[in-house]
Amino acid sequence: MQRTATSLIHGMACMAAGALCWTMLASVALSQDDLEAVEVGTPERIEVYPAEIKLTGPRQRMQLVVTGHYAGGILQDLTRVAEFVSSDEAIVKITAARVAPQGDGAAEIVVRVGGQEAKVAVAVSGQGQPEPVSFEYGTLAALSKQGCNAGACHGSPSGKGGFRLSLRAFDPTLDRLTLIREDFGRRTNPLDPAASLLLLKPLMKVPHGGGLKLHSTDPSYAILRDWISEGCRLDPPEAPRCVSIQVYPPSGRVLKRPAHTQQLSVLATFSDGSVRDITQLAVYTSSDTEVADVSVDGLVVGQDRGETAVVVRYMEFIESVFITFVRDIEGFAWTNPATNNYVDEHVYAKLQQLKYLPSELCSDEEFLRRTYLDVIGILPTVEETSRFLTDQAADKRARLINELLDRPEYSKFWALKWGDILRLTSGQVGGDGVHKYYRWVERAIRENMPYDQFSRKLLASAGSTLTNPPANFYRTAGDTNDCVETVSQVFLGARLQCAKCHNHPFERWTQDNYYGMAAFFNRVQRKNGRRPGEKFIFVSRSGEVTQPRTGKQMKPWLPLAGDVDQPNPDDRRQTFVDWLTKADNPFFAKIEVNRIWSHLLGRGIVEPADDFRESNPPSNAALLDALALDFVEQKYDRKHVIRTILNSRTYQASFKPNAMNEEDTKYFSHYQPRLLSAEQLLDAICQVTDRPESFSGLPAGTRATHLPAPDLVKHDFLKIFGQPERQTVCACERSSESNLGMAIQFFNGPLIYNKLRDEGNRFRQLMKLEKTDSDIIKMLHLAAVNREPTAKELEASLQHIASKDGESAKKNKELEAKIAEVGKQVQAVRDPAFQKLLDAKLATVPEPLRADAKTAVLTAEGKRSEVQKYLVAKFGKGLVVSDEEVVKALDDATKKKLEALKKELAELPKQKLPPGSDRIMALEDICWAILNTNEFLFQH
Amino acid sequence: MRYSVVVLLTVSAGLVTSAAAEPVSFRKQVAQILLDNCLACHGPKKAEGGYRIDAYERLIKAGDSDEVAVTPSKLDASELFRRIVTEDESERMPLEGDPLPAEQIALIKQWIEEGAKFDGDDPKAALATIVPPPVHPSPPEVYANSLPITALTFSPDGSQLAVSGYHELTVWNPADGKLIKRVHNIGQRTHAITYSPDGKLLAVGGGTPGRLGETRIFNAENGELVRVLGSTSDVVLDVAFSPQGDRLAAGSADGVIRVFEVATGKPVQTITSHSDWVMAIAWSVDGARIASGSRDKTAKVFDSKTGELQVTFSGHGQPVKGVAFHPEGKEVFSAGTDKKVQRWKIEDGKKTADVGSFGEEVYKLTAGGGFLFTGSADKSARQYDRKSHKEVRKYEGHKDWVLSTAYHDGSKRLATGSFDGEVRVWNTEDGKIVVTLLAAPGLKLAAAEGS
Repeated sequence: MQRTATSLIHGMACMAAGALCWTMLASVALSQDDLEAVEVGTPERIEVYPAEIKLTGPRQRMQLVVTGHYAGGILQDLTRVAEFVSSDEAIVKITAARVAPQGDGAAEIVVRVGGQEAKVAVAVSGQGQPEPVSFEYGTLAALSKQGCNAGACHGSPSGKGGFRLSLRAFDPTLDRLTLIREDFGRRTNPLDPAASLLLLKPLMKVPHGGGLKLHSTDPSYAILRDWISEGCRLDPPEAPRCVSIQVYPPSGRVLKRPAHTQQLSVLATFSDGSVRDITQLAVYTSSDTEVADVSVDGLVVGQDRGETAVVVRYMEFIESVFITFVRDIEGFAWTNPATNNYVDEHVYAKLQQLKYLPSELCSDEEFLRRTYLDVIGILPTVEETSRFLTDQAADKRARLINELLDRPEYSKFWALKWGDILRLTSGQVGGDGVHKYYRWVERAIRENMPYDQFSRKLLASAGSTLTNPPANFYRTAGDTNDCVETVSQVFLGARLQCAKCHNHPFERWTQDNYYGMAAFFNRVQRKNGRRPGEKFIFVSRSGEVTQPRTGKQMKPWLPLAGDVDQPNPDDRRQTFVDWLTKADNPFFAKIEVNRIWSHLLGRGIVEPADDFRESNPPSNAALLDALALDFVEQKYDRKHVIRTILNSRTYQASFKPNAMNEEDTKYFSHYQPRLLSAEQLLDAICQVTDRPESFSGLPAGTRATHLPAPDLVKHDFLKIFGQPERQTVCACERSSESNLGMAIQFFNGPLIYNKLRDEGNRFRQLMKLEKTDSDIIKMLHLAAVNREPTAKELEASLQHIASKDGESAKKNKELEAKIAEVGKQVQAVRDPAFQKLLDAKLATVPEPLRADAKTAVLTAEGKRSEVQKYLVAKFGKGLVVSDEEVVKALDDATKKKLEALKKELAELPKQKLPPGSDRIMALEDICWAILNTNEFLFQH
Repeated sequence: MRYSVVVLLTVSAGLVTSAAAEPVSFRKQVAQILLDNCLACHGPKKAEGGYRIDAYERLIKAGDSDEVAVTPSKLDASELFRRIVTEDESERMPLEGDPLPAEQIALIKQWIEEGAKFDGDDPKAALATIVPPPVHPSPPEVYANSLPITALTFSPDGSQLAVSGYHELTVWNPADGKLIKRVHNIGQRTHAITYSPDGKLLAVGGGTPGRLGETRIFNAENGELVRVLGSTSDVVLDVAFSPQGDRLAAGSADGVIRVFEVATGKPVQTITSHSDWVMAIAWSVDGARIASGSRDKTAKVFDSKTGELQVTFSGHGQPVKGVAFHPEGKEVFSAGTDKKVQRWKIEDGKKTADVGSFGEEVYKLTAGGGFLFTGSADKSARQYDRKSHKEVRKYEGHKDWVLSTAYHDGSKRLATGSFDGEVRVWNTEDGKIVVTLLAAPGLKLAAAEGS
């Protein structure tokens, strides 16, 4: 596929939403060599799908899938090795598990494998009659299958090489014009179908920028050629419509190596009740190609242990099947680790299935630091650390969790997270507004407002944004499209932006869905209030949404529920919120518990946390379901969910992997270390050095994690470490990518430098209290990494201090030498001019007195004024040469040089180190070194 | 230098049967094999393995592999030959395709053994321009489907109407709609048919979509092929004789306007100003200027002597499919996908008027007898006074897009051709249909309506 800059033209809108749209390629071609041989063994029985076959036209085929059932409920796909025999080759033939009709009548396919046998009845009819290719379900499906209308190819808004198709055939009317009529019908040749440009190009018989995309043996080739030879017919209006597709086997199959392949069968059901095999026309993608690939023929091939969602697409229909691949791991034995609650039960079930062992529990020190950072965003103080570490009670972890959830910093820290999602910036909701909105969010969290109420207050908000802050929701979501995209991403976990202009290329969202959702929000009106910065949100009683492509007026539409015929006439949003917050809503609770999970464990069960889609399945669906169910049952109590997760052994697992889970990155066998967020990091540095940052315009003591909006204070350090600007609702806006700027900040950036040099910082305070070196080193460790230094660390630090002994004296000596040197340079620069001026002045003194006068003039500076007086008295004029006179006599370059030297001379003494500097320098080094450890920088 | 159809046939015969006695001609025998089988991957668009065959000079050199492609007289030092005969499918060319037929391989073998000589004028010239013009296959005796009527024209005396067909022109009697004759040896599609001002020559522009573009000049009297002008890689979309008849301009899907000397067939100008298909061409009355319309969304005017660009009109913002000069020569009409016919000044490229208003896109403009004719996807043709651009008449009744129009001033007849293959002849004096015909021999009108 050619990917040029032009393919990115419409990108801007789509990029934020799903760069995925275009990076996901069609399924790959697999060679048989990659496959392990099937170990047939002794199945207890075999099952053939479908159980019976009806073929009603000459074009129809049927994919068979043979499953072996083994002792212990184990399943294996035997399609590749089964033997198929037709009872009557005049009726039906079978090759490579694909059934093809030959003549009307009834027959049987006998399937034999592993000593078992099964029979499939086949009824064939309609063989004498023509079965014209359907334009939509044949031609357009074939073009989709070959990838012609992919976003990077002819499906891009500007097409390619003057040939433009609708993205994934979402607009058959346009495609009809393009294929048959545009450019004088040059693409199809009904008089010599095989010579059609539409075929010659992808066959590379004619130069094609996209390369070889079609082989004459592909099923798509026959479909396209036959469609052209039948005169490029369109589907009659009464032709049956596809209503659904079914993929076999259903989700949940577990394959254990060497069994690692699964043939899929895809059937389409039409509005007349007929069913057709579309296995060869469906498009397959695997959500995790490291786990499994899918061939163009629908053969799933496992590569590694894990789970994948195979997404099957046929026209606007999308279905996915989850398949789990497992294998024996040498040395693995399940240890039956204890569980704290249902979280562990679900996580461990998955780990056991995939043969990973969870890591040990983390240490108290790790737990303390981790939980503080996750719940309240800041480090525990030295005192809090000591108290917790010395606490011997068995329930101290659970108690700490409860304490933290009741701290005021809890709500402030989680308001920061919601601030990102709700796009709290003064730029978007005004200087006053942002504080009010922030306080509203913070209070809702502090009071543990149930999530359904919280959502309802935002989504059904109206009135002044100043008196009713949640109304700002409709200020940041400033138009109908923004509302659809924001609501769907925040509350449904669906990125709908693509569907604004075309059916979502990889998901079930269609353009109709987008505008159907819009019909809930298009009546929201915004006008300026009377007070400065105030907006007034209200709902009008009329106004409809028109789908821009079809021109159809859209009814409000709800995912899975469909069109709403009678929405609340006063405010359609109420209907939406009622649906959204219903206990059985399949999106609402899940997205929030997943968001919470992702905050606490560094990775969502669905990751990215706000990107729920068929092609991005949860890594542990049962866990997500259980959390969501618990959340709903506990009346959307967010603290309850946080508490449940924090109390699990899963959360409390060590970040250190063991030999049996090193490879795991997504099933939560060990804690995932991650860089502190920008705000956490700044607060932590302030806390370690005990030098708080002051943010102008905000009360003293405001922490970075408590900033209402990123644009209230511009702070370079925060920006460098990924503080989002809150321009989008996407969780991805908060960057965790490391960059060079970060390294520079920690190496010798101004923020850390200044705090280390600050006269009032932690170690200087401790020095004033006359603490020992050991004590200070211990305190620094407790403050920064919440544990005492190890003996080795302490030893090394002490050694460093010792090694600095005498350093300042040495430095001061060097400094003095430098001062002397610069003094000499000053002399050297001014002396020639000085001598000249002096000589000129002395020349006016009578010869005999000249020597005396010279001596007098050269008298040391301090006594100069007296000399001057004397000279004036004696000669009637001063002979002393002043600095000003010398400078005046110099040329510009020399003047500049002299000034610079003088300045240096004045500055240098300030560098003189006071007594005790050796120790301070050493402690600065030590503190700097601690701040530069991964242990400090990372949540772990 | 004129060559007849007979000569061409002999040349073509050489392509099929390799006469071992005679030396193989690169130009006449080998080049076409390479063009048909290798160009798609080893040409200017795509040069797989860093190797290109689009000119002799290139094809004998090594690609990225440094294996010399063709070594004269040494088969075993000719990578090109090894790659077409190797048993290893991962190496055999054309990749992922059927191997070349044995007789074609034999020709290439013989050519290399005989010294791999180049028998053209310029070893740097594109192969497409040095191969002899093809002899086109015969049209179907009976059409299974109709083709869009992309071009038609009246003979100078108005007694015949030549219409685009599949590998042919069909010639009809415009008075009764009877088929008079069929002219063969023409490219798959025809996009332009025009007589020279003196009526002695008939120029046919077209070709095979994506593969070949050419303009064929026939002796109007006896139907003999006089000359084939300028082979290109994609179809010729419009041709026009200069009013003096000494030159012919052809616009093609490679974005180039080529001007030929009619008497010799020598190319005299190659204008590459457009960045996409050139879809329409017109000469000013004095022959000093050429106007063009292009899929690059512009219309342009050039000095016909120097090829210099004089003005670009971007007012359509959509592909431009038709152009015509105002009779006074200072303004141009252009039409296109923006559903407009616009009139604009050559001096500054500023629009002076919209002509009429259309519901759908407008195709080529026909200027004739003081009138301007349009055909449009709104299924109508219209007649305007070319000076005042007042609408004289609207011709309705076609059931599909009207792609082409032709006018015969002597008989006051207008012919219109539509996408569904139907041709209508109208009397412009009363607007009545004279005759309706389906320009697809053997296909019934009713059958066409049914599809």
